[in-house]
Amino acid sequence: MKTTSDFVLRGGRVLDASQGLDGVMDVVVVDGRIAGVGQHGAPAGCELIDVSGCIVSAGWIDNHVHTYGTLGFADPDSIGIWQGVTSYVDAGGPGIASMDEFVALLGGQTVADLYAGPYIRPMGIIGAQFTEGDIRSLTGFPIPEWLDFMDAHPGVIRYLKVAALGSYGAGPLRMAKGLAEIIDVPLYGHIGEFQMQREDPSAYELFRISQAGDMIAHPYHNSGGGILDADGRLLPVVADAKARGVLFDIAFGSYNFSWDVAEKAMAQGLPPDIISSDLQQFNAIGPAYSLSHVMSVLLRLGLTLPQVVEAVTWAPAKALRIDDRAGSLKTGMPADITVSRLEAGRFEFADTSGVMRDASERFVPVRVFKRGRPHPIDLARCQDEKNWLLQIAEDHVPAAAQALDARQKGFLRSLRRALERTHWVYDLDHLDLRKAHELRAVFDGVRAQHDLPLREALLTVYAPFLDNPFTMQIGLFLLHLERPFLLERLDAVTGNEAVAA
Amino acid sequence: MSTDATWRTVDAVDPATSSFPALVRLGDERVIILRTPKGYRGVEPRCPHLQAALTTAVQMSNGSMLRCTRHNFIFRLSDGKGVNCVGLRLKVYEVRESEDGRLEVQI
Repeated sequence: MKTTSDFVLRGGRVLDASQGLDGVMDVVVVDGRIAGVGQHGAPAGCELIDVSGCIVSAGWIDNHVHTYGTLGFADPDSIGIWQGVTSYVDAGGPGIASMDEFVALLGGQTVADLYAGPYIRPMGIIGAQFTEGDIRSLTGFPIPEWLDFMDAHPGVIRYLKVAALGSYGAGPLRMAKGLAEIIDVPLYGHIGEFQMQREDPSAYELFRISQAGDMIAHPYHNSGGGILDADGRLLPVVADAKARGVLFDIAFGSYNFSWDVAEKAMAQGLPPDIISSDLQQFNAIGPAYSLSHVMSVLLRLGLTLPQVVEAVTWAPAKALRIDDRAGSLKTGMPADITVSRLEAGRFEFADTSGVMRDASERFVPVRVFKRGRPHPIDLARCQDEKNWLLQIAEDHVPAAAQALDARQKGFLRSLRRALERTHWVYDLDHLDLRKAHELRAVFDGVRAQHDLPLREALLTVYAPFLDNPFTMQIGLFLLHLERPFLLERLDAVTGNEAVAA
Repeated sequence: MSTDATWRTVDAVDPATSSFPALVRLGDERVIILRTPKGYRGVEPRCPHLQAALTTAVQMSNGSMLRCTRHNFIFRLSDGKGVNCVGLRLKVYEVRESEDGRLEVQI
């Protein structure tokens, strides 16, 4: 069945680094694929769409977002297709022990293609400030499980994320580089965000061990372990990495973009290779807002319009090795297209420290097509509080719990019995990750008895506690709930009055 | 709640005329007093994350939570527990209105 209409985008400035194109020309889309770019007569029956004054490019790729886990969103599409992004990568939400949950919950669920850049911690990012940088939170490097996942789900994992944080030292960075080589994906190294972490010069080890094609995120941060020396000069270790072909990804985020650092780096020949947003619960309402906002910031910094567009299309497509399906308007490619325009006005762009710069133009996505299908744009959709604030419904039973069927309630009853035999205390200061893994094992055991698919089992456990469909590693989710409340709520939902009374 | 906590009268704030949030000094302590739909509540003056001033913090969810505008860390006003930031806790204070219409903070 034909699911897309054929159309021609006419009158826009086409920017496509994959073919060296920059000029006003037509983009012809037939059967959801690019049928040609240039001066074409519109095929018969083709809809003609006037995009005069607009920029037409391959669909934008956001190399670093958070869709899953404690930093994710109830509606991951809200930071994807609704913002004009047609492909994106979850940067570290899951780890190898939660990749199955990531795939079960988000695989094929978003309009934009969603890839994973899992974290080296098996649990993935946990979002607990004090625990995140603790070397003991890196609970294992299970090589067989990584290889098994790569075999079972080819193409899902696009890079391996590691952070230079806290008490890690250089060891985990080198181990992560080794693991990235084993599973044959680029290393994605996070620097910056040292505000609550002990500053550790081992961050520079990331620059040393990264090879051509590996990526370093947050290069323009202004925390300890930055790319400039005390006099503002680019450190040789950073310049050497750039010269070797290591890619620098803006990953704007909440903490990691400084006008001062960025301007000094640009003046010394260190433009970014990739522009990404690092959108997460904490920054969708500012200062990151959207990939288009971050593109506007980089335009203001001094990148040219073609450079900015390449940094969200062809550059990340190559880095992610998805250049056979994204980032290009070559004939035969899936018709992932973003149409944007530069809006003139008086704007103020804040960096992540609140330092402002005036700007006179900004990117606004106006149309987006995924495999030739149009999708509406709404940049503000992600800012709805229900979308970014993960809240446990402590004072009421969410509506989703009322809709659970007998089989699902039976599963919850068994889970409740199993959890009653397991003891834990939610400790703010010492998050017990081993216990989180143990709770995941309890969940798995009960699920096996009930023969419930993973996706259904996860949603069944979320239902009594969440009004909005957030995702979180299930072991961490259970650990995060206070045990008496958890048991009581499961009683209330499953109708286990004898225990509840 | 600490048993040796005492109620301290806030002389600098008049519920009828003052604007909220109000930053007050009580001995060595500084407290921001918020007016919420459920009554008054006190919080420490700076966010436990990175010490941003909470005088510009925003109430959410019908005044049950407070959002620091610096990095959008959110705290439950009932007990200070971090909502989206496990591992952090905001210091919160009971605030009551005395019979003669003055505010008292339990320190």
